[in-house]
Amino acid sequence: MNQIESFLHELLSAPGVAGFEGPVCEIIRKRWEPLTDEIHISRVGSLHALRRSSIPGKRPSLMIAAHMDAIGLMVKDIRDGLIWITSMGGVDPRILPGQLVTIHGAREYTGVVQMLPDRLVKHQPAGGAPGYSQLFVDTGLSANEIQANIHIGDVISFASAPTTLGDKYLSGHSLDNRASVAALTVCLEEIKDYRLQWDLWAVATVQEEVRTVGAHTSTFELKPDVGIAVDVTFAQEPGLSTYETFPLGKGVTIGSGGNIHPALHRELKDRAEEIDLPYSIETMPKGSGTDAMAMQISSAGVPTLVIGIPLRYMHTPYEMVALKDIHRAGRLLARFITTLTSGSLESLFKGGAA
Amino acid sequence: MKELIKQLTQIPGPSGYESAIRETIREIIKPYVRETRVDAMGNLIAQVGTKAPGGMRVMVAAHMDEIGLIVSHIEKKGLVRFSNLGGVLPRYLAGGRVVFLNGTRGVINSDRHDEVSKIQPISQFFIDIGAISEKDCPVKIGDLAVFDREFLDLGKRVSSKALDDRCGCALMIETIQRVKQSPHELLFVFCTQEEVGSRGATTAAYQLDADLGIALDVTPVGDILGVKMQVNLGEGPAIKVRDVGHIADPAVVNWMVRTARELKVPHQLEVLDVGSTDARAMQISRGGMPSGALSIPCRYVHSPSEMIDMDDYAHALTLLTGLLSREIKLEKK
Repeated sequence: MNQIESFLHELLSAPGVAGFEGPVCEIIRKRWEPLTDEIHISRVGSLHALRRSSIPGKRPSLMIAAHMDAIGLMVKDIRDGLIWITSMGGVDPRILPGQLVTIHGAREYTGVVQMLPDRLVKHQPAGGAPGYSQLFVDTGLSANEIQANIHIGDVISFASAPTTLGDKYLSGHSLDNRASVAALTVCLEEIKDYRLQWDLWAVATVQEEVRTVGAHTSTFELKPDVGIAVDVTFAQEPGLSTYETFPLGKGVTIGSGGNIHPALHRELKDRAEEIDLPYSIETMPKGSGTDAMAMQISSAGVPTLVIGIPLRYMHTPYEMVALKDIHRAGRLLARFITTLTSGSLESLFKGGAA
Repeated sequence: MKELIKQLTQIPGPSGYESAIRETIREIIKPYVRETRVDAMGNLIAQVGTKAPGGMRVMVAAHMDEIGLIVSHIEKKGLVRFSNLGGVLPRYLAGGRVVFLNGTRGVINSDRHDEVSKIQPISQFFIDIGAISEKDCPVKIGDLAVFDREFLDLGKRVSSKALDDRCGCALMIETIQRVKQSPHELLFVFCTQEEVGSRGATTAAYQLDADLGIALDVTPVGDILGVKMQVNLGEGPAIKVRDVGHIADPAVVNWMVRTARELKVPHQLEVLDVGSTDARAMQISRGGMPSGALSIPCRYVHSPSEMIDMDDYAHALTLLTGLLSREIKLEKK
């Protein structure tokens, strides 16, 4: 297992449900601290790490962002010694029955999500997909133990363990978007010995899964000249259209659409081709659905781009990515960063958006 | 308490047209604050106290606006078609009464339909103000109306239109009157346009640049049959953990719970699957701020007859006054 793979295993073993990113943030901070010059946590919990430019005086800055929060569940109601739940971010209730979860109460408690059996529920056609009103978590604790240790509002994370499948793929919960956090880490490693012409902010944002809280606030605070969000995108799966999905393990995606500055799109394609890095173009006609949405309209506006890492089974406890694609995303970022010069900002955006 | 809530609920103030309710509130709080000001979005801002060492700059927000109706078309026979301003639910419309900002009153009904078990969309409802023709109609396109429903004193509980969020405004007014000693600079904001997306709170939060944000609003309850949510009327104010648009900062939740315990105020934790509050706008303002919300449990939210429990209100007042009078320690669990 290489360095990044073992770092990913560590990342995927830590909870970090949207709004409660503390544990995973601490792991990332430790990993990024030796790779950056300055590090702090924002007022809402995002991690900001600066690689300072070696150019004296005023220089442009680039923000690369990956969200560290994950989808999860929350305790909504407690009745009859069972825990009733709601989702944090987009969790399709159909994937929940039978899953092991961890409830973050007075301490961590393991539970299993279950549903009422069709046969015994009256007035309900058999075979239907359960909704949240039919799903609960059984912890095996007594009603008294639950009352003392688990409260409404406690978060619940998936308990699935990260697993390397074959030798090329990684499976586990929260690969959306810890895969991209790992890609940023690859990038920071790659540029470690380079003198940078721009300031670089590596940012692990909070609460992307609910409303891009971290992207809004970090972009305002750091005021970058250019922003790049790295997030996962849909990999090809049987039965899905080939134009909306991208082959797993065959390269990253470079976004194109209203949320993407055309000059940045061209630039990243050129950088990818220079190093023979495989990529697909991902059209994003309705907005990218990533942190870049918030970054683009911060303050007076920021030119933004999205790099995508193809991922299968999105928003399930067993998402799947190719390790190679994570490395590629990191290498592409590194190539872009190390080729930036003090004049790049002007030459890139001289012609406005066109 | 009841008198203040009664007074505030009866003033029409749909989103974007809050001037009447704003002037009423301004007159009430004038003797208790150094100055009040109104910003470009119509928010009423009152500052109380200054920041002592160890103190914070705290923005407290309650919204003045209520859901309303806006005239979109007038039929030849003088019937008034309308659209909604905020979350107006069609099931509460037929048979109701409205009052326009110019004082005109009318009754709501709907086009005839055969499937009585189905609820019609808003486009099939109209307001009949008793006009005999389009020419005779005293309201025009773009005129606004709100539900016309008097305040009902049911003893421990009260019912009215616009308890969302005039009971939050009342709570803030009474807190302003009670907070005598505070180490904090308290910025009380009576916000506009919450019902259409927290527009007033968005700009107020930007201009005030506070250290901490608290929204005061109502929350739906789960004590009515068929709703799975553990917030009940009469069991104390609800401390928000999350709603659809906002995850309260865990440190703010802990601070509120800790203070409630110390003050022996009954309280509940709120996990809400519909709606949001001004706290969502405060959270992502500028570089972000820790934010939370204190909710008054409310039955039948967005109906012409919402209902709250006066004990919940009184406990919320004790808790909010306590929260703002002491030093604030924000610690995660």
